[in-house]
Amino acid sequence: MIGRVRFAFLTVVETLLRVLPFPCKTGLIKIGNPGRDAPVFLTCNFRLTVERVRRALKGMDAYLLVANSKGVNVWCAATGGLFTNHDVVSVLRTSGIEALVDHRRVILPQLAATGIESRVVRRKTGWNVVWGPVYAASIPAFFHGGMKKTASMRTVRFPWTERLEMAVSWAFPISLLCLAVYPFWKDGVLPLVGFVWAWSFLVFMSFPLYERYLKRDSKNVGFVFFDFGQRGLPLLLWVLFLAGLAGWSLTKGDFSWPLALRWGIGSLVVVLIFGLDLTGSTPLYKSGLHEDRLLRIVLDTGLCKGAADCERVCPVDVFEVDSARRMATLPRQDQCVQCGACIVQCPLDALRFRGPKGDEVLPETVRRFKLNLIGTRKAPPRPAEEEHDRSG
Amino acid sequence: MSTYVLMRILESAPGRYDLGMRILTLGRLDRAYDRLAGRIGQGHRVLDIGCGTGALTLRAARRGATVKGIDINAEMLEIARRRISAAGLGERVELSEAGVAELDGEEAQQYDVVMSGLCFSELSDDETAYALKEAARLLRPGGLLLLADEIRPRGFLRRSMHWLARLPLAALTYAVTQQTTRAAVDLPGNMARAGFTILSLRTNLLGSFGEFVAQKQGGDS
Repeated sequence: MIGRVRFAFLTVVETLLRVLPFPCKTGLIKIGNPGRDAPVFLTCNFRLTVERVRRALKGMDAYLLVANSKGVNVWCAATGGLFTNHDVVSVLRTSGIEALVDHRRVILPQLAATGIESRVVRRKTGWNVVWGPVYAASIPAFFHGGMKKTASMRTVRFPWTERLEMAVSWAFPISLLCLAVYPFWKDGVLPLVGFVWAWSFLVFMSFPLYERYLKRDSKNVGFVFFDFGQRGLPLLLWVLFLAGLAGWSLTKGDFSWPLALRWGIGSLVVVLIFGLDLTGSTPLYKSGLHEDRLLRIVLDTGLCKGAADCERVCPVDVFEVDSARRMATLPRQDQCVQCGACIVQCPLDALRFRGPKGDEVLPETVRRFKLNLIGTRKAPPRPAEEEHDRSG
Repeated sequence: MSTYVLMRILESAPGRYDLGMRILTLGRLDRAYDRLAGRIGQGHRVLDIGCGTGALTLRAARRGATVKGIDINAEMLEIARRRISAAGLGERVELSEAGVAELDGEEAQQYDVVMSGLCFSELSDDETAYALKEAARLLRPGGLLLLADEIRPRGFLRRSMHWLARLPLAALTYAVTQQTTRAAVDLPGNMARAGFTILSLRTNLLGSFGEFVAQKQGGDS
């Protein structure tokens, strides 16, 4: 009972404040009565994730390792460079797990594949990485099904529960900002907050209705029903608002600075909401914010030997390995969300990103330089030798 | 020392780390590092755990030691690499992107000194215990362990004062970086369990920052 209340409380708080990390203790957690051949699962130290994985493992006898992802969820942390090989190696080595089990097989969440290199972990520790399912809830089925993943276990979805979470985690921080107008515009707070919540719910809950109008392979930005450029849409909205203000003042003849200020705040909230990166907020579409960063996955068929790592880690089911030709194919390439997991894991470096201008992002870059908050990879720091070469 | 939470802001931009640290600590950290590095002599073999931008590594190399620096942050290491080659000490320093759990390839008892500045406070309990055991394994008998780090003040009053002083800074840091630091866990106890004798411990007024000089048991010097 207490456990359930605690879990509900955590879920609410960490959904409202989803934009912030919630770290919890790293290390080893025993589930049931694990023996020397018990499975070893590993996850990040975002508190809500740990609680969800524990609940999914209930009834099993297993070990759960919690690695340091700085309190951020698996996918974001691994893709953003906060959850790295070092963190996985560290928990495998320092938690004491090596003395407790006879095998060396650790099951990682599949979404960690954008940042954790299974080969590096094996080389440094001797542990073999098995990519588990995307969702913790599928762990029992995955484990009892002989650790085989069905297509649905490897694919991200965007069910109503997640859309609800997304709506709340959008609306809550923006409503906090709205509260800031209270000192000089008391009456404005409720309508603004109400608008923010209503709009967020409308946008995310009606997702299935308009999803088919979303385009996967072109710019797809701002508010979903229109195809304005990201800079164009907010500008256009501002113009509309200014015209509205001018119209109001002219017809009513009562222009005042407080009115203009309130008008400005109201329009800011609307523009903020309309300008949010909707497709980028879903796990199914790539961000539409930067047309120049819309990358495609390309396969070097000369290098591919059909190892199928790409198929195992792709969260949107882009790949199919043709076992007869021992070659990967990309029948659903248009579904790619640019996470880069396939590039990071390919043992033969046969995959890479190609930009709209033909520029390429090589596997080494995807592995070493993670995405920052605004979606760019940090410029590679130059090793000293290279610097020397350049000057010479 | 309460300002160490701001370390996080600086760490998120490694380029600003050193200048920022100097301002925040009003030179205190520099002096602590100088005092610790004073224990290092010509020809010593030194391991710097969590070398960051190389503050301790550079000091040790300047004193004529051969240093290996490890850190898991590639960007910080890159800055360290530049500073070391600018100081002309590249010959004496080896830098490696590795964490404390990745030292098993290192031969036992090969170092005279193992040192670490502001790194143990980033480690979990498990990692702290593991790192100190590794330090003991890698040091020759009688070798020195030099640590400078944020520690938990002793006594309720000091702890409360420290907590209050730290609160606004911690809040600011969390707001900017969504990260926080914490004090290193029970360093004296962990050191004793790993086989170290503490020779000297110097703390600041609030007892929230400590400089440890410890010796691996089983030798005189």
